[in-house]
Amino acid sequence: MNAHPTFTRRTVFVVAGLTATTLALSACGREADSGGANAGASAKPIAEGKATGTLTVWAMGAEGEKLPALVKEFEAANPGAKVEVTAIPWDAAHDKFASAITAGQTPDAAMVGSTWMGEFAGMDALDPTPEGIDKASFFEGAQKTTEVDGTAYGIPWYVETRLVYYRTDLAAKAGFSEPPKDWDGLKAMAKAMQEKAGAKFGIGLQAGGQGSWQSIMPFAWSNGANLTKDDGKAYNFDTPEIAEAAKYYQSYFTDGIADKAAPAQPTTEPDFASGRVPMFISGPWMMSAVEKVGGAGFKDKYSVMAMPTKDSSSSFVGGSNFVVFKKTENRDSAWKLVQWLAQPETQVKWYQQSTDLPSVKSAWEDPAISADDKLATFGKQLETAQAPPTFPSWEQVITSFDTEMEKVTKQNADVGAALKTVQQQAESIGTGQ
Amino acid sequence: MTTTTPVAADSRAGRSKRPSRRGRQEGIAAWVLALPFCALFLIFTLWPVLQSLFMSVTDTKSKDLRTPFSVDIVGLDNYTRALSDPVFRKAMFNTAYFVLIGMPLTLGLALAAALALDKGIRRFRAVFRLGFYLPVITSIVAVAVVWRFLLQHESGLINTVLGWVGIDGPNWLGDPNWSMPGLIMMASWRNFGTPMIIFLAGLQSVPAMLHEAAKIDGASALQRFRHVTIPMLRPTILFVSVTTSIGYIQFFEEPLIMTNGGPLNSTISISMYTYKQFGFGNYGFAASMSYLIFVIIAVVTAIQFRLLRENT
Repeated sequence: MNAHPTFTRRTVFVVAGLTATTLALSACGREADSGGANAGASAKPIAEGKATGTLTVWAMGAEGEKLPALVKEFEAANPGAKVEVTAIPWDAAHDKFASAITAGQTPDAAMVGSTWMGEFAGMDALDPTPEGIDKASFFEGAQKTTEVDGTAYGIPWYVETRLVYYRTDLAAKAGFSEPPKDWDGLKAMAKAMQEKAGAKFGIGLQAGGQGSWQSIMPFAWSNGANLTKDDGKAYNFDTPEIAEAAKYYQSYFTDGIADKAAPAQPTTEPDFASGRVPMFISGPWMMSAVEKVGGAGFKDKYSVMAMPTKDSSSSFVGGSNFVVFKKTENRDSAWKLVQWLAQPETQVKWYQQSTDLPSVKSAWEDPAISADDKLATFGKQLETAQAPPTFPSWEQVITSFDTEMEKVTKQNADVGAALKTVQQQAESIGTGQ
Repeated sequence: MTTTTPVAADSRAGRSKRPSRRGRQEGIAAWVLALPFCALFLIFTLWPVLQSLFMSVTDTKSKDLRTPFSVDIVGLDNYTRALSDPVFRKAMFNTAYFVLIGMPLTLGLALAAALALDKGIRRFRAVFRLGFYLPVITSIVAVAVVWRFLLQHESGLINTVLGWVGIDGPNWLGDPNWSMPGLIMMASWRNFGTPMIIFLAGLQSVPAMLHEAAKIDGASALQRFRHVTIPMLRPTILFVSVTTSIGYIQFFEEPLIMTNGGPLNSTISISMYTYKQFGFGNYGFAASMSYLIFVIIAVVTAIQFRLLRENT
């Protein structure tokens, strides 16, 4: 092309000109806000009869691998229906959903992360939950993760919540035969672990950084914090409830009870098994993880306790939801699958296959679950556990909270100023709705 | 644009232009052959570039992807917002820190290893060459796991060795002052293989007679290195430093896997912050940051060409 230097230049101008024309013709600029197209959308009920046709379903991680075995039973009960499950790795899932929604190539139904609901509902991709599904059968905090701007989309499929893990043998040495109930008690116990039970650090708390809000917010929620204001239309970080909780959390680091210089990759399980750090806050998956590291008999050396009470005892509820996409051509059958997944019997079966905890309250009465003391504690905490608001910008806003809390824990920064910064950033980012 | 360029172009074109039919047919054939490339280039290279440039001057968010043109044009707002964003500034500082310390260290290591392979090591040369090059072709994920063990605070190999000589090693990845040096060490170790190979080729092309002549004139080994080897290597150094700096300015995998930008944003790089902004769905804002990185790379490369060009 060097022989025709004018060609490239001309082409660029032509292309640029065309682009400019396209842009002008396609009338740039946002359309006037219609005030939420879905506001108050009332969903059609699910049709009677059995499910038919082929359903494509996407699911992530271990769930994606185990779901095909579960849906075989759905196919057996609905002979005309076939469910094709595509397993997606978690890392790639969000982008895959986003591009599928953009291209209009969504599956019929899918498992989605509970923090993506606001974004996907905002892109008008999800079908509102029809009447046939009893919203009151789920844990309230989990049900809230499906509600965007007042409308429910899909169901909470499985749940998890955070509790305090502690070594019972070391707690006895430290003089605690019963787990403490309130904030002061927890701190006294952690301190006693250090002083009397030979622990290097009393409790393992995440010193800020990504995801640390999941350990800090349970304290704030236990103190009556509400993350939204103005009738659920705006973020609300700069409140006395959150400040008090963050100061309490900070005091663990300033008093040397928790490690402010914990390694980037936490060594929670071995530290717990060796007694170096005999307490931490985490979710139900840690039970099998610590038992694996601790070896035989470790099961009886630790237990879990509810989040300590200030105003009440509350924790963070996580998990994944199951949704039906608006673009589906087999809506009724897709909802029938969702309905089936929300049945207590299916939920118990799913727990046995995957160890994912049921989101349906009545499933917890099944002996397969209620017989386990530790699980029962998780079940009790789930009744009061709360979820963050389903704003599309949540992930971004909470990143600034995590960053500021890192300064609070590691550099002993002022809590009030940190929360003010978070609130400012949250307001400049907006809810994204 | 000056008026001389088209004139010069026209005169050159005029000279080569032959009004024969065959010539024109050849021209058409050439165009037909070039058409697939041109079409692919326009659709898959030029168009995305133009669209991302357009995106960078709009308030595009992820939910606008279905209607990419019904967004508001905000001019250079994204750019000014990026430049006044404290995290982006911190990321720029971190990237500059990484490039200014990491690049000389990498090139120094590469040159030292190349000299050793060229002059010092006689036996097992191929084994050493492979050994030095191995980190380059090893997956960063595997490397990160090993380095996380090496950099561990209390039981890591590096701090154990430092302990032998009485130094109390820092908490490499946990301390905001030491996390970047930790990553620089790892990145230099991982990346010096490629420049080493290129330096080795450069060293082997230095004519032996120049060294002999200098030796006869009484130059010491150090003087010969300084006044013969280095000047002869100048084009190699330019090439290596340009490619390395382009790679290092886009420094991304190491913090993503090792530290996730922490602690306290001490290792977040501009590429990584841009990536995070794309993840948050702020496509317009992130696109503007990508163009800022492009401008930085262009400027840094231009400076290197200016500093290291041949003195003719």
